[in-house]
Amino acid sequence: MNHPRAVAGLLLLLAGCGAPGPVPPAAQARLEDANMRGASQARAGDNAGAARRYEEALRIARTLDDADAVAVNSINLSIVYQRMGRDADARAILAPIVANERNAYSAARRMQAELRLSIMALAARDTDGATDWAKRAQERCQAAAGGCAQLPAILNVQAQAALETGQAADASNLAQAAADRAKQLDDKSEMANALRLVGRAQRALGDPNAAVESLVKAWEIDRELADPRKLMADLLELAHASLAAGNKQAARDYQERATAISRALREDK
Amino acid sequence: MSQPFSPPVRFTRLALKVNAFLLIALLLVAAFLGLVAWKQGWFIHQTGINFVTRNSLGINKGMPVKLFGFTIGTVSEMRLAQNGVAVRMSINSAYIERIPRGSRAKFSRESGVVGASVIELIPGKGEQPIAEDEFIDFEPARGLSEIIDDFRRQAMPAFNEIKQTMSQFNRSGEEVTSAMIALRHEIDRLPQTHRALQRLLDSSSRASESVERITAGIERAQLVGKLSTTLDSLNRVAGTTEEVMLRIKPAVEIGEGAARDAGEIIAAAKRSWPLKEQYRQTEALLPIDSFEAYGLGAKPK
Repeated sequence: MNHPRAVAGLLLLLAGCGAPGPVPPAAQARLEDANMRGASQARAGDNAGAARRYEEALRIARTLDDADAVAVNSINLSIVYQRMGRDADARAILAPIVANERNAYSAARRMQAELRLSIMALAARDTDGATDWAKRAQERCQAAAGGCAQLPAILNVQAQAALETGQAADASNLAQAAADRAKQLDDKSEMANALRLVGRAQRALGDPNAAVESLVKAWEIDRELADPRKLMADLLELAHASLAAGNKQAARDYQERATAISRALREDK
Repeated sequence: MSQPFSPPVRFTRLALKVNAFLLIALLLVAAFLGLVAWKQGWFIHQTGINFVTRNSLGINKGMPVKLFGFTIGTVSEMRLAQNGVAVRMSINSAYIERIPRGSRAKFSRESGVVGASVIELIPGKGEQPIAEDEFIDFEPARGLSEIIDDFRRQAMPAFNEIKQTMSQFNRSGEEVTSAMIALRHEIDRLPQTHRALQRLLDSSSRASESVERITAGIERAQLVGKLSTTLDSLNRVAGTTEEVMLRIKPAVEIGEGAARDAGEIIAAAKRSWPLKEQYRQTEALLPIDSFEAYGLGAKPK
């Protein structure tokens, strides 16, 4: 009767291979599912749908007393709300994370929330607020063991704030530092943002030809990323830089291409 | 006046010639018949052997009779007898020596179940050859139902063995399933166990800290040198406390070890192939893009 035992042993092995792993609790599974669907919809540009998913995920995370999940979904909601133009909601959703230093949220999540607040402040042309939040985020980022992946974004926000307050040289230095760090981290998105800011700073410093060069590099990266808003921004900056360099034809060409993208985006809406 | 008859010269001795021709033809016919008779074995001496069968279906006159697969005779006659059909076999007398008493006749087919039917002689163990007109036993042919029955009889033990094996196999499968369910249940409970151990560890640590504070208080009391009775009682308290600490210490150590072990088990389980997919860390955070600060408005749908 050795054969049945051998077969049973083989079955045991196969059962070990084929048996599903531990099933996460239902609420945890719903949380992960809502988060995953929200990310998918956000990537697809369905901000309203993504907001609904993230709101659901946030509710579940609160019922589970999962501070990290609450923070993650709050930050995601702030991104989606901002895209939807709900800036007040985007700021309010992050308030609990940054309100208290001794709350349950980790330093990394707090830093990310501060970065988001600095971005939203800058988008609202509140350069002081943006600088303040970015400074706090940078301090946490530098205090983190092994650094953090958000440093290029923080430097870019600081560079843009400096540029909008007329400190073009500082902006150029910060943007160049952001570009270097993004290159180290292989963060193409922030690399392109940094090069765009370098180009803007160079134009402000009176070097439009160098600006065109930097902006073309940014445009090439953004073409790979295929984000029309960034492409439009690159083309607009290129038009300004080309005009400053005395190349009216190129400026008109860039302007027309940016207008075409803008028109296509409106039609797509 | 008539002419005398004179026979034609052409047909002289005609009668002799006709007689000679007829004689030769007769001789040729006789030779042919003799050849045929010789070929048919009419000149061979045959010994008749009989058997009686209750069912002569499939047995025909002229059917070959074989010994060890070699034809030694034929079925020469069939007639209705008292108990069935009496069949007479004509066996070449040259081979009769090879058929001892006690031999049996058997109806069979050349290729087993199919093929031409023959009467097969199965030699007995006697020493004397069988005699003329003697009756021998006959073994009738087996029908398909008998063959199936025989097969069933032979196959039944094998089928029973297979059935038993399958039963054991099924039982083994149930045991494996039960074991896997129990194992999964235990794995599911590991995080709870880990948390419980962690709580135990925390409470043990807090107890240790309390005891340390008490001990420190006692030491200060000793340094101050206040009431001796109080000191004595405090010393007793300290002694008790030390005992408590000594009792707690193994528990704390066990708790720490268990917590460490549980952590290692969970970590190992998470790293193992079937589970790691379930515990794969996913970054659920959307990328934070500083471009959102550029102020171009909402991202298109």
